[in-house]
Amino acid sequence: MKRAMLRDLLAHKGRVAMTLVAITLGVAFVVATWVVSDSAAATSRGEGVRGDVGVSVRIADGAPELTVADKDRLAAIAGVASASGSVTGYAGVVGANGKLVRARPDKAGTGWDSSERFVLKDGRAPGKDEVALAEPQAREAGRKVGDRTRILLADGRSVDMVVAGLFTYRSLGEPDPVVAFGDPGVLGDSYARVELTARPGANVDTIASTARGLFDHATRTVDTGADLAAQARARADESARSSREGLLGFAAVSLLAGMFVIANTFAMLVTQRTRQLALLRAIGATRRQVRRAVLVEAGALGFVGSTLGAIVGIGLGLLGLVVNAPEGTSISLTITPTGILIGYAAGVLVTMISAYASARRAAAVPPVAALRADGSFAPRSLRVRSVAGLVTAAAGVVAIALTLRNDLSTTERIVNMGGGIAIWLGVLLLAPALADAVLRPVGRLLSRRGGPAARLGIRNSVRDSRRTAATTSSLVVGLALVCAFATLGSSITSMLASSIRATVPAAATVVTAPVDRVALGTDVLGKVKSVPGVDVVSADRYAFVKVTHNGSTSPTTMSAIEPDGVVRPEILEGTGDVRRGAVVGENEAAMIGARVGDEVTLVLDPATSITTTIVGLHKGMEGRPLFYVDVATVPAKFRDGAVTTVYATGADPAAVRAGIAAAFQDRPDVVVTDREGVIAEATESFELLMALMYALFGAAIVIAAFGVVNTLALSVMERTREIGVLRAVGAGRTLVRRAIRAESVVICSYGGVLGILVGVGFGAVMQHAMMGQSLWEFSVPYGIIAAALAGMVVVGVLAALWPARRAARTDVLAAITTA
Amino acid sequence: MCRAAGSGTVYGVRTSTNSPAVHGRDLSKVYGSGSSGDVRVVALDDVTVTFPRERFTAIMGPSGSGKSTLLHCLAGLDQPTSGQVFIGDTETSSLSDAQLTALRRDRVGFVFQAFNLLPTLTAWENIVLPLDLAGRRPDQAFADAVIDGVGLRHRLGHKPNQLSGGQQQRVACARALITKPEVVFADEPTGALDSKSSADVLGFLRRSVDHLGQTVVMVTHEPSAAAYADQVLFLADGRVVGELAAPTAERVLDRMKDLETAVAR
Ligand SMILES: Nc1ncnc2c1ncn2[C@@H]1O[C@H](COP(=O)(O)OP(=O)(O)OP(=O)(O)O)[C@@H](O)[C@H]1O
Ligand SMILES: [Mg+2]
Repeated sequence: MKRAMLRDLLAHKGRVAMTLVAITLGVAFVVATWVVSDSAAATSRGEGVRGDVGVSVRIADGAPELTVADKDRLAAIAGVASASGSVTGYAGVVGANGKLVRARPDKAGTGWDSSERFVLKDGRAPGKDEVALAEPQAREAGRKVGDRTRILLADGRSVDMVVAGLFTYRSLGEPDPVVAFGDPGVLGDSYARVELTARPGANVDTIASTARGLFDHATRTVDTGADLAAQARARADESARSSREGLLGFAAVSLLAGMFVIANTFAMLVTQRTRQLALLRAIGATRRQVRRAVLVEAGALGFVGSTLGAIVGIGLGLLGLVVNAPEGTSISLTITPTGILIGYAAGVLVTMISAYASARRAAAVPPVAALRADGSFAPRSLRVRSVAGLVTAAAGVVAIALTLRNDLSTTERIVNMGGGIAIWLGVLLLAPALADAVLRPVGRLLSRRGGPAARLGIRNSVRDSRRTAATTSSLVVGLALVCAFATLGSSITSMLASSIRATVPAAATVVTAPVDRVALGTDVLGKVKSVPGVDVVSADRYAFVKVTHNGSTSPTTMSAIEPDGVVRPEILEGTGDVRRGAVVGENEAAMIGARVGDEVTLVLDPATSITTTIVGLHKGMEGRPLFYVDVATVPAKFRDGAVTTVYATGADPAAVRAGIAAAFQDRPDVVVTDREGVIAEATESFELLMALMYALFGAAIVIAAFGVVNTLALSVMERTREIGVLRAVGAGRTLVRRAIRAESVVICSYGGVLGILVGVGFGAVMQHAMMGQSLWEFSVPYGIIAAALAGMVVVGVLAALWPARRAARTDVLAAITTA
Repeated sequence: MCRAAGSGTVYGVRTSTNSPAVHGRDLSKVYGSGSSGDVRVVALDDVTVTFPRERFTAIMGPSGSGKSTLLHCLAGLDQPTSGQVFIGDTETSSLSDAQLTALRRDRVGFVFQAFNLLPTLTAWENIVLPLDLAGRRPDQAFADAVIDGVGLRHRLGHKPNQLSGGQQQRVACARALITKPEVVFADEPTGALDSKSSADVLGFLRRSVDHLGQTVVMVTHEPSAAAYADQVLFLADGRVVGELAAPTAERVLDRMKDLETAVAR
């Protein structure tokens, strides 16, 4: 029995190969994801932690810095070999465009020393009047070793220095500096941190406790280097874990796509062997034996495929690491047994599960099927599946219909999203019935126009709608994800843009810092006011705060603004007059369950909070201030030192703009722009994130494309006889090739259209649930849709290349003489 | 390919005057090289055959005698090891694959033992497939004659899996005839049919010769099927070993018995 099956399997190497390809791909993507995240974790751990610090003394946030005298006192502790102070201060690298690079400049400056915290990547240690720059920021600023660069210091001073070297930083918890001065005196002579090394044999814990005794606990923190290193390592692990979790989401999507491909391939493999299986049954094999044989075969195939997949996956992972690693950084390839085991589990289990349904069908093959001429199953009824699909989709529609309002609570939002997912599942279940319902009429229409090749191809694409649906399922999953996120993304960017357009007048000149959310210098507001021609000036004071309402606290954002300023939030309900209280984003109000008239407390910092009444709701959204309050109600500390953006208008907007631009011409820390500039800035980083998403979901589409190749190739093998007849009655090779191509394009386009529809719909639901916008107010990502459609046609053509060639090469005589 | 006007046949079937429909000269087909363990099989051994126009010829012979091989070589599906095949005036060994394809499409019809039809096409679409492939429209009068001849008018919209084996074979016959080919080759067209269905198919082939002026060459094992033909050609061991005009089932059976005893000896 086993031998018969094995022989049979070996006799159809092509089919086996295609199944293996499907399993290999699915497993490879899972293993690759694991390898990438493991290696990323190991890389950050390997570089990030140093062991040359015995004890570290740091100042608390906002506390006065350590003095040279403090350092000397620390150096005098018994057992201390050396004490070195780290000067920290404001330092902004000015790029080629005259503006600061995008790293927070507040604590970006430090003094160079020979400790292990700097890893020199290029050049040499900086001398006097020289600096070393952190590698990524040097790249952003376009500076190389030997270049001169301007560095902005605190109080607007700036220095010109030669870049002596480039470094990467190994932090023990402090923020990574960007500029290391050869002469730390540039930044001052007090220290944010003093690091002690211990004499051989000295006890660091004793040193630490002695050091603790020297200072006030509230303003100085003392830790051993070992403790800090352990914390840093834990943070690296944590970040690796969360990045792995992110990546695994994508791997799960690839695996899902792979599952569809494996299941479909296996179903085809069994279908094609109906006759052999029936023959086995006819000569006395029991159902159980047939079922077990198919399952054993699946397990074996799954094992071999997983092994190949693990190898390919490690290769893919390595490739991904090499491609993505910044130049010059070394990567450590780490392969953990967990990743490989999960790959195997996925491969073998998915194959066995996919095979189980096929095995049952195989066992149910009646022995007479061996005698039946066409040797295939009668088409199974789609009724159960379609009814299940309809019910699921209908439940989804109901869930969404019940949650159409914009001010949804968190639970309602989850119900809404659940509805979207249910519709998606419903569509997957309905896919075969839909294929029948859509492709047949479309096929009839196209057939009338196209030649015989198109006609034959289209007919073939609908001959087994279950198979067509299964083939397209992975395409639908991949494309729908891409389109859903594209819809969400374009909805968010267009909402952001329209929200900014509604609050900021087109004529306003906008003054901000080049670094996101960094406060402007205290002089900026006054300087703008004094520019001739400027009539109205107001400012945003954007801050991350906490809001307490009805006893529950959640993080939010706020801005203290001048009443009657340039910025006017778009009011949906109540008033926009901040003199009377807080104006809150509608969505945010719904999230915290607050209405107009409710009292809320904004917690600015542990010591400062303001309690106010909600007087109006505005249309703002995440990424823009959610709470607007009167600047007069916040303490001075959050007023002048907290200005993030200044808006100015005047009778002649162009003159205002030119005047302000001139006033800040030599200020690398100030950017003068307008409303469109603000919009571009707000949407840019978001679009980058989206592009990354597309790339990751692309893996699912690649697998799906292989799935199409697989189906076509197996179909071609299955139809050898038919193709033989077609060739015998006079179809040329070109026609055969075209027919297969037409079939492939039809299958891919169907998957593409379905995926796009589902994706855009799901994207609309996501933006409704997440942003509290109306369900219908989504914006359609036309660019992505056009690209997806064109891409599907290309995938269709490419996927058909090999199967079509194979089909065209069919040996007519062999095809018609062997049944 | 130049074809002169027909020789007075019904519905103007195109024929080349004078030349026979099919002529095979000194045909040999050898499988295997005969070297190192590779068994050399002579399937056809210097066969010369001529099939005149508007005649129904049956080819008979024991299993393995080379009947199918002969048919494949004549039809341009296979190349003989040596010898020449003429379909009308056209010598086929010099044709390219594309030319052979066009020849099969336009000038030759086929009926195989089974699996003749494309499962995705309806009966009508299967019948007109060769015309469709050539980008031609069917000659409606002729198509009607063919369809009525096979008696399938009420079944034209059905897919092959909705037709009985006999009906499928009749559709295949109709497809073979629709292009008004110079010759229709049929390899055991009734091999998988019961006697009633066989009679339908054979009757149709007979009528296509009588009324539509077609030429049919059919391989068969059944003396009763051979009895529908105008003449029977007997093959044994890859050689033509006899001929019988105006066959009846009994006379064919007798000859077959003779042949078998001759081969056994
Ligand atoms: N591809 C091949 N390779 C080797 N030998 C072959 C091949 N095809 C046919 N033969 C041999 O050639 C001889 C003639 O075969 P052919 O199929 O023409 O016989 P046939 O008369 O049609 O028999 P049947 O009545 O059983 O169909 C047989 O001995 C067969 O074994
Ligand atoms: Mg034969």
